[in-house]
Amino acid sequence: MRIFGIIVVILTGALLIYAMGDFPSWADPASPAHNHVSPRYIEKSLEQTSVPNLVTAVLADYRGYDTMFETAVIFAAGVVCFFLLRIPRKDEPTVRRYRHTLTGITISVKETREIPPVLEEFERIDTLWTPPDLIIKTCCRILVPFLQLFGLYVIAHGHHSPGGGFQGGVILGASMILLAISHDLRTAIGRMSERVHAILCSVGVFIFAGTGALCLVLGLNFLDYGALARILHVDPVTARSHGILIVEIGVGLAVMTAMIWIYNNISSKGKYDEGL
Amino acid sequence: MDLIVVFLIICGLIFFTGGAVGILRFPDFYSRLHPAGKLDTGGGLLILVALALFNLHHFSLSTLLTGFKIILIVVFVFLSSPTAIHGIVDAGVRAGLGPWTKKKD
Repeated sequence: MRIFGIIVVILTGALLIYAMGDFPSWADPASPAHNHVSPRYIEKSLEQTSVPNLVTAVLADYRGYDTMFETAVIFAAGVVCFFLLRIPRKDEPTVRRYRHTLTGITISVKETREIPPVLEEFERIDTLWTPPDLIIKTCCRILVPFLQLFGLYVIAHGHHSPGGGFQGGVILGASMILLAISHDLRTAIGRMSERVHAILCSVGVFIFAGTGALCLVLGLNFLDYGALARILHVDPVTARSHGILIVEIGVGLAVMTAMIWIYNNISSKGKYDEGL
Repeated sequence: MDLIVVFLIICGLIFFTGGAVGILRFPDFYSRLHPAGKLDTGGGLLILVALALFNLHHFSLSTLLTGFKIILIVVFVFLSSPTAIHGIVDAGVRAGLGPWTKKKD
């Protein structure tokens, strides 16, 4: 069986290497990819969409369908992680550990379904608790707001510089994950609950698809942002640029929350109780 | 101006070379992390400051803004890189990895 697998791999590899011979040579200006659409994008995208960044124009406008379904794929990844991993709170007895912050004594509370009232001197700790590190906590607390600001900048500035919804969303998601790593999972969930993740993730996809549908309602093709000119009271070319921005915000929301959602589900093993 | 830039870049490259050699040649986890932390902060600081200065050749608002952004990168690298190294070392200590000592046999 193993030998059979190796034979298949070698045959496929040989086939791929053989097919490489038919590729156009490296950086060949006469290759088919450079003859049909590329010159049109390069020459016309600024006057058609008023977006200086070619990549953003192609990604969100010319190839809008592609990006919309990419966002849907990311949303699906988040939902799949949720359905596979999430364990709804059952009636199992759970042990909660609390630490007296003044003396360092840890107590375990067993078999209570309802959460005891929060006392000032006691803090909830994980089962695998390690003493908090002041340097890491402080540095991450300082860095997180700047990270989020930078993420928003990357989303909003995707027209003019490298960036856009996917990258900015990843940065925003990473900032929340950094908070969860440097403090603990409960802190991060306290900032943004699971329900918020689920709603925002679907809202992101909905903004993208909804913008497309709005264009359809206004009388042009699906995802033809020129139709938004009538609502925004600008000329169609500027409306395309605004449409790309709206869509990028949707992508950013979906990517950010999908990342946090997946991380929370994996790190807490689906219980949302304790984790990193 | 050019002299300062070249001097800073060469200093940064020396830092990077030393750091790379250190990562390869030091005996254990902790002592390898030591040059790794220095490399990012020290070498990065020198080279990025040199770039910011080089960028100010044509003095205008846009180059000033670019220089400011580069300095911001330096600030954040300075905050995050030592913290990351500290976190890794901390994790190593908690996992029970002892530091390297010269064997007496």
